[in-house]
Amino acid sequence: MEKKLAMPKLRPEMTSGVLCAWLKEEGDPVEAGEPLYEVETDKVVNQIEATESGVLKKQLWEEGDQVAPGAPVAILETE
Amino acid sequence: MITFDSHSTDPYYNLAFEEFIFTRVREEDVFLLWRSTPCMVVGSYQNICREVRPARLWRMGIPVLRRISGGGAVYHDLGNLNYSCMTRQEGGVDYDRSLAPVLEALNDIGVPARKNRTSDIAIGEEKISGSAQRSAGGRLLHHGTLLFDADLGALEEISVRGKNDCVQTKGTQSAICTVTNIRPHLAEDMTVEEFRRRLLERMVPDAGDRRELTAEQIREVCRLRDEKYRSWEWTWGRTPAFTYEKCGSFAGAPFRAAYSAKQGIVADAAVECPAVDGTLAARLLNGARLCPEGFAEICETLAGERGPELLELLM
Repeated sequence: MEKKLAMPKLRPEMTSGVLCAWLKEEGDPVEAGEPLYEVETDKVVNQIEATESGVLKKQLWEEGDQVAPGAPVAILETE
Repeated sequence: MITFDSHSTDPYYNLAFEEFIFTRVREEDVFLLWRSTPCMVVGSYQNICREVRPARLWRMGIPVLRRISGGGAVYHDLGNLNYSCMTRQEGGVDYDRSLAPVLEALNDIGVPARKNRTSDIAIGEEKISGSAQRSAGGRLLHHGTLLFDADLGALEEISVRGKNDCVQTKGTQSAICTVTNIRPHLAEDMTVEEFRRRLLERMVPDAGDRRELTAEQIREVCRLRDEKYRSWEWTWGRTPAFTYEKCGSFAGAPFRAAYSAKQGIVADAAVECPAVDGTLAARLLNGARLCPEGFAEICETLAGERGPELLELLM
């Protein structure tokens, strides 16, 4: 089954964050709680953990892209 | 609140020391104070080639390092005291919560400091401290600089006049602010060592909370220093993709150079100048790793004694 993981809202006024690094490549297995990517907003680098376990099927953004909170970031293939 | 002493002024060691403690101490709140010899430290997602002039810094013997938090480029020297606060992450991004105890301690020591902008500390309108954060695994790292007695001339030369507008790129841009040192604003003068001691006494009053790393932990810090902070992959390889273009004159002739770089590897290089073999330049530059040492060698091959002059045009 495919699950979309969304960009979290890191503070109430957040309108977007920069996806600055992918920590997993497409095809990599991912455990819930494992770091998946990093987002920078307001001089804070936030390491974002996967909320589900599965295989990273698709990175929906490139490093450097501005992503709004709530927007899908990754597609995970789960059991 | 506990603290550890790095006992080092090596910038590579100190960044590794801070990261090691951030990832290993999971429960207690930690406060660190540390100083480094002259260096430039860029944010986790910054383009080194835009934020500083790598060739010029290399010639001056000032290393460039990449840290794990966000934000912009900062200059460190022994007159600058860095602090790090590590706590459990609670709620969203909030600089006020992290800055309040530091501000209070500064005011206690007699520094007429106040918060300014989102994450700065100022005396009057002049900045004395900038800060940035990293949040990972439920822990928050908040760290900042404290300009106490730093070489502001060098800081200005490197970080304000040192921008490179030949670079087109994504990545976090540094802000340019008017800065001042803390020392001339003190009612009662003190050395940077005294300042450090008094700040630490206020932040970590109990001597029992002053810890030391074990020999094995120091070995792990050294491993992290060598494998990450001294590595080309971390410092240069993480530079966001960019294109570079510079027009000028070299050896009395018109000069134009352009290239792109992705993950720190040069491509699409073109050097157009009657005094340089363009075919050889493209061959040497394409596939080269972005770094001043490597570029300096290429420039020497291309221009011999005029290599350093060519280097300034290429980076």
